Amino acid sequence: MRRRLLAAAFVAGLLLAPTAGGAETIERFPPPDFETDYRLPEFARRAADSPVWQIVDVVLLAAALSAMTWLLLYKRSRNGVAVMTVACLAYFGFIRGGCVCPIGAIQNVSLGLADPSFVVPWRVVIFFTLPLAFALLVGRVFCGGVCPLGAIQDVVLLKPLKVPGPLAAALGVLPFIYLGLAVLLAATDTAFVICRYDPFVPFFRLAGPLHMFIAGLAFLLVSTFVGRPYCRFVCPYGAVLSICSRVALKRVTVTPDDCIVCGLCEDACPYDCIRKPTAEKGELP
Amino acid sequence: MPVEHDGISRRRFLDKVTRGAVAVAVAGTTAPLAARLGAEGPGTEMVWQIDPLKCIQCGQCATECVLDISAVKCVHDFDMCGYCKLCLGFFKPQPAELDSGAENQVCPTGAITRRFVEDPYYEYVIDEELCIGCGKCVAGCQAFGNGALYLQVRHDRCKNCNECSIAAQCPADAFVKLPAKKPYIVKHLRMEEHK
Repeated sequence: MRRRLLAAAFVAGLLLAPTAGGAETIERFPPPDFETDYRLPEFARRAADSPVWQIVDVVLLAAALSAMTWLLLYKRSRNGVAVMTVACLAYFGFIRGGCVCPIGAIQNVSLGLADPSFVVPWRVVIFFTLPLAFALLVGRVFCGGVCPLGAIQDVVLLKPLKVPGPLAAALGVLPFIYLGLAVLLAATDTAFVICRYDPFVPFFRLAGPLHMFIAGLAFLLVSTFVGRPYCRFVCPYGAVLSICSRVALKRVTVTPDDCIVCGLCEDACPYDCIRKPTAEKGELP
Repeated sequence: MPVEHDGISRRRFLDKVTRGAVAVAVAGTTAPLAARLGAEGPGTEMVWQIDPLKCIQCGQCATECVLDISAVKCVHDFDMCGYCKLCLGFFKPQPAELDSGAENQVCPTGAITRRFVEDPYYEYVIDEELCIGCGKCVAGCQAFGNGALYLQVRHDRCKNCNECSIAAQCPADAFVKLPAKKPYIVKHLRMEEHK
């Protein structure tokens, strides 16, 4: 009986082989009429992430940005910022797998603007806009302690070296080139390079292609002696944010009246961000 | 002593103007997207899916996903199933016995359960916890059966990457984007549509 069934199945398979494999599937065995009260199981649909998680993401992003603003501008607490950094690394990085992130959202927004049939999810729109709005008001608080990519580089930083000024200036152009390239490739629906070459997402997910693990490890290795190399010399969203923060309404500043221009803070900043106070025309004698 | 001056300094003025311009640019970028979202309603964003009529069961879904265990799983369209006693989605060709011994099964993880319904019909149910999305059963069912088994991206697992790394590799170009509120393809409905 078994042999005959097998043979029949094989013959049927061979006869129908030319039509098999591709689009056309012929009903070789008509669905049975059950005599018992057997009922066909439903097709199992599994829903995506519940929208609750998406709301949690957005609420936590807003809360984290607000908390960072308070910690930086009013509390001026380094420990607070460190706690925020680790917490955001844990949530936006390891729990949520580094996705959605505002850096990648650049591409969705670009494609959304270029192609009217491409609908950008509301969460992505908010993730793209909120850090920009904060940067316009209070500077790059997103980079400071919310971004998981920045945080993972911060936690491995051991002994920051100074990047020589001209080199830093030259490398500082790279994010803008990367930004232009990413927008172009996304808007033409060619590739989403920021996501493909995100060096830290393999760590967040503990899975990914080998070459990206290697790239991520290389970045982390450099991060031990150069403060945040990805943020400063690669990140395209950082480039957009830098434009916003340059004209921010309020930002972290050295209190001019108390400053004795000793230059210690300038030396201490691992990212070479602090410059000597300059006199504004008309404000100082 | 600070120099008295009326009005604002040149730098402050430029700052203000640039700030305004950037704010307008950001709002201008977001507004059309928000407007479209409002017009289209929720669930219109796109998610990845596999068109079963294009899939060639090459097996790369199991290996190319960024997740350790692929988001692609085998699903069963029971409306198409012949409930075969000798199911070549379940059995290896030429099985030693028609029983659920591991040596007789085509599934490398034993994710398919075979259950007697009534003579001569058997029901096959996939345990998605075990399924790795290799598509071996799909190939068997496609070649010798009705093609009721097929691969789908499971949205409880899929990260919906901007760049799906399976889609980038797929030799049959079977990956499509569907609106999130209808993220699955039910194969028999898809085939009716195809006719």
